[in-house]
Amino acid sequence: MGSPIPDAHKPDMPAEQITMTYHDGTSRTVYDTGIERPYPDGKLIVSRTNLDGIITHVNDAFVEISGYHIDELIGQQHYILRHPDMPKAAYKDLWSTAESGQKWHGYVKNLCKDGSHYWVYATVVPNVRRGEIVGYTSVRRKPSRSKIEAAMTQYAQMKQDEEG
Amino acid sequence: MTTHNMLIAPDFSPDRFAGWHMFNTLIQKRANLNMHLNIPASHAEQEQVIDAGDIQIIYANPFDAATLIREQGYRAIARPIGKSDEMVIAAAANSAISRLEDIQVGATVAMADNRDVKLIGLRLLEAVDIEASDLNWDVTETYQAAARKVIKGEAQVAFFLAEIFHSFSRLTKTQLSVLIESDLADISHVLLVKEDFPDAQIFLEAILNLHNDDDGKEALAELGMPQGFEPMSEEDAEFMIDLMQTLLD
Repeated sequence: MGSPIPDAHKPDMPAEQITMTYHDGTSRTVYDTGIERPYPDGKLIVSRTNLDGIITHVNDAFVEISGYHIDELIGQQHYILRHPDMPKAAYKDLWSTAESGQKWHGYVKNLCKDGSHYWVYATVVPNVRRGEIVGYTSVRRKPSRSKIEAAMTQYAQMKQDEEG
Repeated sequence: MTTHNMLIAPDFSPDRFAGWHMFNTLIQKRANLNMHLNIPASHAEQEQVIDAGDIQIIYANPFDAATLIREQGYRAIARPIGKSDEMVIAAAANSAISRLEDIQVGATVAMADNRDVKLIGLRLLEAVDIEASDLNWDVTETYQAAARKVIKGEAQVAFFLAEIFHSFSRLTKTQLSVLIESDLADISHVLLVKEDFPDAQIFLEAILNLHNDDDGKEALAELGMPQGFEPMSEEDAEFMIDLMQTLLD
């Protein structure tokens, strides 16, 4: 099945080329330069999606760090940000928690348009309106270095387990 | 004529007192309403007054707004434009603490009693692995007192409501160094009315038109809201509440 998200542009610098396959069966080529972007101090990075994971709102901090233009984000699947180092199980846990009406917290490595990445501590809450979940809000904060390092170790192990 | 009760959350700079009285006088005149202004001295007093049950209008801080809207029958109608609720963490300018990473476990934080400022400050300190239980808390009567404590070296850092920090004298500010200032942007105080408040529309129109003439502009300037108010929909408020829920833990 073809991907609704276009393949990433090959960066000018050395980068690993990876084919990502998402839960909906689509796939896409991305690049990982290994370069980390610093989290913007004092800010929250905010987005909202509908029930299908389509981005409906992003704040300025989200747009800026992602490297995308806002028009490339709104209407797109939130997995446009997914970094190949993130284990699938983390997102499975996120979605099953949020869909059951609960709040989810976790450390996430996100992929920027240019193949760089940034780490966040993300909290996802379901948007409950008149008793029904109508979408999800995700708010990211700056994680500590020690927490990032612990997450890197944990996710590397989870990836290894997933790949058998 | 019925008298309505309006309550202003106590977490504003003392310089704003006159502004709230001007605001109340103008709104009464323009909306042709009788309104009594309630300015509780503390958050505890605010809760008592609201629980007593006869408050029709509240200028609420965002964290209280969540409970007031979802549990106590209020709805948001307006918010100040371009005036988000931010906080500052500062140390003495002459201390060894020049960035968040320099704050040690066991440090004392001076701050006025404001749980929102504390909550946001703690969220910012997560980035350097500092939690509430790692710190000693020295709760002062005012933010000015918190500034004095940190300048004298009786506390290592202080948490401030950003608006109050920025209103300090130059002398005070030169003795402090800002370690971080939040830029949350989407979180602000909100104007709430009780669901059954009959004069909500006329009240809202008076609020939204305040910036259109000199008297209104003067009151807004005194309140530090030169751009005035903008209407807030139910969904705008729910969005802000969802966002704040993410900051609670």
